[in-house]
Amino acid sequence: MRGPPGQVAIGAGIAALGIGILAGAFFLPAGGGYAQVGPGVVPRIVGVLLIVAGGFLLREALTGGFRGVDEEAERHLPMNWVYFAWASGGIIAYGLLVEHLGFIVASTILFVMVARSFESKKWLLNVIVGFVLASAIFAIFNYGLGLMLPLGLFQKLVS
Amino acid sequence: MDVWAQLLQGFQVALTMQNLMWCLVGCMLGTAVGVLPGVGPAVTVALLLPITTKVDASGALIMFAGIYYGAMYGGSTTSILLNTPGESATIVTAMEGNMMAKRGRAGPALATSAIGSFVAGSIATVGLTFLSPLVVELGLKFGPPEYFALMVLAFTTVSAVLGESTLRGLASLFVGLAIGLVGIDNQTGQARFAFGVPQLLDGIEVVTVAVGLFAVGETLYAAAKLHAVKEELESWSGSVWMKLDDWKRSFGPWIRGTLIGFPFGTIPAGGAEIPTFLSYAMEKKLSKHPEEFGKGAIEGVAGPEAANNASSTGTMVPLLTLGLPTSATAAILLSAFQQYGLQPGPLLFESNSALVWGLIASFYVGNVMLLVLNLPLVGLWVKLLAIPKPQLYAGILVFATMGVYGMRQSPFDVFLLYVIGLVGFLMRRYGFPAAPVIVGMILGPLAEEQMRRSLSISQGSWSIFVTHGISAFLLGLTVLVLLLPFVMRHLKKRKAVAG
Repeated sequence: MRGPPGQVAIGAGIAALGIGILAGAFFLPAGGGYAQVGPGVVPRIVGVLLIVAGGFLLREALTGGFRGVDEEAERHLPMNWVYFAWASGGIIAYGLLVEHLGFIVASTILFVMVARSFESKKWLLNVIVGFVLASAIFAIFNYGLGLMLPLGLFQKLVS
Repeated sequence: MDVWAQLLQGFQVALTMQNLMWCLVGCMLGTAVGVLPGVGPAVTVALLLPITTKVDASGALIMFAGIYYGAMYGGSTTSILLNTPGESATIVTAMEGNMMAKRGRAGPALATSAIGSFVAGSIATVGLTFLSPLVVELGLKFGPPEYFALMVLAFTTVSAVLGESTLRGLASLFVGLAIGLVGIDNQTGQARFAFGVPQLLDGIEVVTVAVGLFAVGETLYAAAKLHAVKEELESWSGSVWMKLDDWKRSFGPWIRGTLIGFPFGTIPAGGAEIPTFLSYAMEKKLSKHPEEFGKGAIEGVAGPEAANNASSTGTMVPLLTLGLPTSATAAILLSAFQQYGLQPGPLLFESNSALVWGLIASFYVGNVMLLVLNLPLVGLWVKLLAIPKPQLYAGILVFATMGVYGMRQSPFDVFLLYVIGLVGFLMRRYGFPAAPVIVGMILGPLAEEQMRRSLSISQGSWSIFVTHGISAFLLGLTVLVLLLPFVMRHLKKRKAVAG
């Protein structure tokens, strides 16, 4: 009995999440108060529910795969890891850079990298469009709605 | 006060200059995000939640609601002109409407869906107006055990009835409940599952989860898996003229679609997919031209489009009167109420009657605005479809990260957004519905509160949920909903064996 590895991993992962929550719940008081139901009771229930759901998913995965998921059709949509990495890298770069380079520069980098993940190689155009969009959002949300987006590199220019 | 007086009072709120403007902004944003692939009403409302600190409650909620039902209008435009459906509720329109467009009948298809949406939205708003006070009266009789049972029923129907797999729907729901556990328990002040991370003590924001699952997950999926899929934009003359015959053939389906869609929205089953399929099947049966179905029959566009609009207005009934969200967007609307310290439910109709009735009245106004926006002005929105995919998704992510980072200027939230985006990618790949996660994380803590309140009434005895008649009935119904698919399958098998 072998199932699609991704599906098996998901079933096991959900069950593992349930085990983790159940384990964590035992550090929380279950009694106390008038209700005699403390903050630990619902986590115990949710933990058990996740373990049961994970178990059933594992069973489906091992006995012919998840019902209604067509692994054959999925093979016609091959996973492109390069594009996946461009989009992922864009978001992670944003998280790493936004405080140092500021909102506008980090957003421009994100824009260019995500556009690249959709096969766009018009680098200059994407830099310009990304920069203009980010500047417009910065102006509207910082001055209009009072969000505090970081200026970063532009801090010196302003002050 | 009777309904008419309250509705009149509502119009006084909805028709102020300021609220008319918010309504228009909401309808325009809603139409735009409905038209644009890759972004929907749930993400848009989530990203705009920060404005609740600047705008008064009635203005913000009128705008958010406008985004919600406006997206239903806009979604059909994309389904008709593009060969990929924008939202699950418009799959049927995508089949039939796109066929009409291929045969050069894009104009009548766009017209019948816009007018049908208007007819359905308006009739459903009348339904909302007169049904709400009745449900409120019922809701006032409910105590904590009844509310808890009602929430359990809503959880089950939202995750088990919709989608292709009860099991995967429930798994999504449980993950949502788990997300809802993170943070400080609001009854005892005990921190749960925060692992000493200060950012997690406040709980995981619905903005991060909604944007991660819908916007980031969708972008990763489109980039990595759909790069080979080519989209075709159908040509269209720009006219939305309907011939007399089109009117005659559309009228019945509009009304029937509304009558199917509205009840589906009001019972806590949410989701607009099932009524669209039912309406499509019904029109096919009643039509004098069943051979045209699948090749571009106008009835197959008119009925389902009316059904999905009526059902989205219908979801406002349980949301406003009982505080029960039955779709992802409704759940985010509920959290918008919470930003103002308001809890939708029967008491809100007493304590904030001007706000609630102002919101309901704005639905009448919004539907008129949307008819104008989507019929004479539909050409403007079609231009949005010309935005190339790379720049479109890149722009969506710039907005998405801004909204999540801007909440509290913490890069931690951006990384959390990416992790939730990965989860969203896997859910999309393996057919897990996303809406139960959102409903679970928002409704979960409320259900826990009602459960613990019930148990403090009964001094810890769980029997309170079955000794209260209504609560026992609702929990019984839940079990029935869960078991029904299995029983049906079993009966089918026996029938097949016997035959």
